[in-house]
Amino acid sequence: MPSALLELENVHCGYGQTSVLHGVTLSVPEGSIVSLLGANGAGKTTTLRAITGGVHWLGDIRFAGRSLRGRHTEDIVGEGIAHVPEGRGILTELTVDENLRLGAHKRKDRDAVRKDYDRVFEYFPVLNERRWLSASTLSGGEQQMLAVARALLMKPRLMLLDEPSLGLAPLVVRSIFEIIRTINQTDHVAVLLVEQNARLALELSTEAYVLEVGRVAVSGKSAELQGQESVRRSYLGY
Amino acid sequence: MYRQVQQRLRSAPPRYWLVLVLVLFFIGLPTVITSFQASEWTLVLIFAIVIMGLNILVGYSGQISLGHGALMALGAYTSAILIHRYQVDYLVTIPIAGLVTGLIGFLLGIPALRLSALYLALATFALAVVTPSLIKRPAGLTGGVQGILISSPDPPQFAKDAFASVTSGPPMSSDQWMYYLSLISALVLFWLAWNLIRRRPGRALRAIRDREVAAASYGINIAGYKTMAFGISAFYAGIGGSLYGLAIGFVSPDTFPLALSFQLLVGTVVGGLASIAGPLIGGVFTFWLPIVSSQFVGSQSWIPAQIASVFQKAGPAVTYGALLIVVMIFAPNGVAGLIRTGYMRLQARLRGAGDRGTGQMPPDPQTV
Amino acid sequence: MQELIQQVVSGLASGAIFASLALALVLIYNAMGLVNFAQGEMAMFATFIAFTLIIHGLNYWIAFPLTLGIAFVAGVVIERVVIRPVERAPVLTLVIVTLGLATLVNGAAGFLFGYVPRSFPSPFSVQTINILGAFASFQDLSVIAVCGIVLIAIYLLLQRTTIGLTLRAAAHHPEPSRLLGVRVSWMLALGWGLASAVGAVSGIMVAPILLLEPNMMQTIIIYAFAAAVLGGIESPLGAVVGGLIVGLTVNLAGAYVPFVGGDLELAVALAIIVGVLVIKPNGLFGRAAVRNV
Repeated sequence: MPSALLELENVHCGYGQTSVLHGVTLSVPEGSIVSLLGANGAGKTTTLRAITGGVHWLGDIRFAGRSLRGRHTEDIVGEGIAHVPEGRGILTELTVDENLRLGAHKRKDRDAVRKDYDRVFEYFPVLNERRWLSASTLSGGEQQMLAVARALLMKPRLMLLDEPSLGLAPLVVRSIFEIIRTINQTDHVAVLLVEQNARLALELSTEAYVLEVGRVAVSGKSAELQGQESVRRSYLGY
Repeated sequence: MYRQVQQRLRSAPPRYWLVLVLVLFFIGLPTVITSFQASEWTLVLIFAIVIMGLNILVGYSGQISLGHGALMALGAYTSAILIHRYQVDYLVTIPIAGLVTGLIGFLLGIPALRLSALYLALATFALAVVTPSLIKRPAGLTGGVQGILISSPDPPQFAKDAFASVTSGPPMSSDQWMYYLSLISALVLFWLAWNLIRRRPGRALRAIRDREVAAASYGINIAGYKTMAFGISAFYAGIGGSLYGLAIGFVSPDTFPLALSFQLLVGTVVGGLASIAGPLIGGVFTFWLPIVSSQFVGSQSWIPAQIASVFQKAGPAVTYGALLIVVMIFAPNGVAGLIRTGYMRLQARLRGAGDRGTGQMPPDPQTV
Repeated sequence: MQELIQQVVSGLASGAIFASLALALVLIYNAMGLVNFAQGEMAMFATFIAFTLIIHGLNYWIAFPLTLGIAFVAGVVIERVVIRPVERAPVLTLVIVTLGLATLVNGAAGFLFGYVPRSFPSPFSVQTINILGAFASFQDLSVIAVCGIVLIAIYLLLQRTTIGLTLRAAAHHPEPSRLLGVRVSWMLALGWGLASAVGAVSGIMVAPILLLEPNMMQTIIIYAFAAAVLGGIESPLGAVVGGLIVGLTVNLAGAYVPFVGGDLELAVALAIIVGVLVIKPNGLFGRAAVRNV
């Protein structure tokens, strides 16, 4: 049986004395979109941080079959994981263009990079308009676009998105989610999507996991979870 | 009543006994060492006084000063000028020097409020560098480059006789008298600082140091306490400076170079910030380390000979700098901090393994 | 008028030297929020290395870039060995570590090269040339030119190259940069190397004017502090502009204000530092700082 692109097995994790994850097991198959849901404080962000090496963890995390234990963030990211953190991680001291350049700075395939730039500006024309301005002048929605564009330029195999809808108008969120779907289909980039907005996330993703107090409470195909009213009421808030 | 005293004595923590022993030790010390050695310990005590003040500023109120050498200079020159030009009795000049310097320090504290720790370090650093030039200028008052000579104070007759009878030897020399003067000042100032720290001002300062925003919301007058801390630490520096001038017999612009300001700060940190014992350790460190630096490395048998000889020849500055860096890396809380951590670990071990929660993670090294 | 032009050129030359050292300070401040109190001593040591190379027969124009390369490597090594262990320590610890480093480097220079002041060979003649009817020293003009070239090179490096981009990213936003694959830790070391090289320029330029000895840079660093603070401690442009202003002010004050003699010029620098910090702590080009509690 082919192993999934990303596998977490019984992951425990915490900050100092506080333990946040108590045995999380999940997997993200190649080319799929998986959502990670749950209330505030359930441990969703911590899960993503563990994957890219931002916190110590116990258990096992494997990407493309290789363990990520003990590896530095810069290396993990170099394996093909793009992590858009909570708050988007926009480098506001730099321009929009410089942010994008950082996404692509480790790639050697010049022509492909140029093509990816074109695509990115096609998806998000506003980034082209504001290309030479400081990234701090972008609105929240535009910054989210920049973050996704930058992640795309990294040519990842897996994208980790932490609450992309936070603080954005519904219309903007929808358009961004559409583009994520397109990216997933066109480039076969797998996505692990952390969201509080469960409804939108379930629409976008094929599978979902619901975290509660550091453990996976419910998991399954998104369509099924959407259909189960008891699940929606207890865990997803709608 | 007797019962109460007995109870008090029995319940007094071991620290109090330690302090008593230490005080007795220092009182008796000059009787068993030479007059010259006593004069060395005088300087240690003087540095301890200045460091006590610096400790209040740095350890308790969380500000930085790289300029306390300059404040010492102010105190020293105040005393020297009063004695030399106005024939004021030297004893009287000591508190005057303290008050003058304290006032200046308080005034300095006002602009200091607006500076972050780093900028404050910068500004006080610049002050310390410029001070020798500033002293040289009004040569009529300060004696310019040559400075002012101060005649060593003669011990009062009762002291001379008492000393002679206790040691059944020569009467008290002026060096020894300076020692006792410094010791008395140190004890008084220590008692003052200790009370300050124990009571409301100390708690307020610590609140400000740790969580300034929270402290402000409790209604603590941040500006007031911080400038007060500056003023008090300057007061201590002024007294220390005055005693210093008396002890070595003269003051000149080069008596208080930048290096001294630096050594004082270092002594404060290495002795241990926000600790009671720190200043004494710091005083010892400030006085002895520049002297023994070159011999120190050679005396450590675990350092290979080739490395040791290089350090020895390279001179005290290299050893001092290297030692400093090593200490900061491995013991940033200073000697007192090391002792405290060691003591706590020992206590924990004696009490038993205690709670072991599941999944206790080591602290996150990449905490944002 | 003629004398004024001479003083202005002289002031700009001093200013260029201050600007170079100030830029070094700003580079490190940007990278880790720390003022490197040892910057001047490191520059002095590099100058001694240049001196040694030159008196052993190496051509000045080979020794100069070679020294910059050595200074660069030394900066990287110092960051890895001395600074890395205390990277996250509180400000006070870092201040003491850099001051300890300053003491160490100064002592080492004294040990290796002695305390006798030496005269540093300069490839620029001290002749004066005619500008706008006034006589300006060729030396001064050359100092301005050399510093200018170095500063422009640094600018180009930081703004137009990928490595400059990753350096800036790592300096301002370490955590998000990691997620983009930037090796933040090595960028820090690179920043130190760069700062060390730039600082070395100021040392080599000032050595023919003062005499080369271990305490040579101790006043220069004060002027550099004043320049960095005036320009805004986070702004490389500010360091340059600040340096030129400080150079001009100090020079003109020394020449034209009666009681400001040689030794009180330093007090002028102090006044600038204190004045700026009290009135406008962010300097000319700094951003309004978020208050960190």
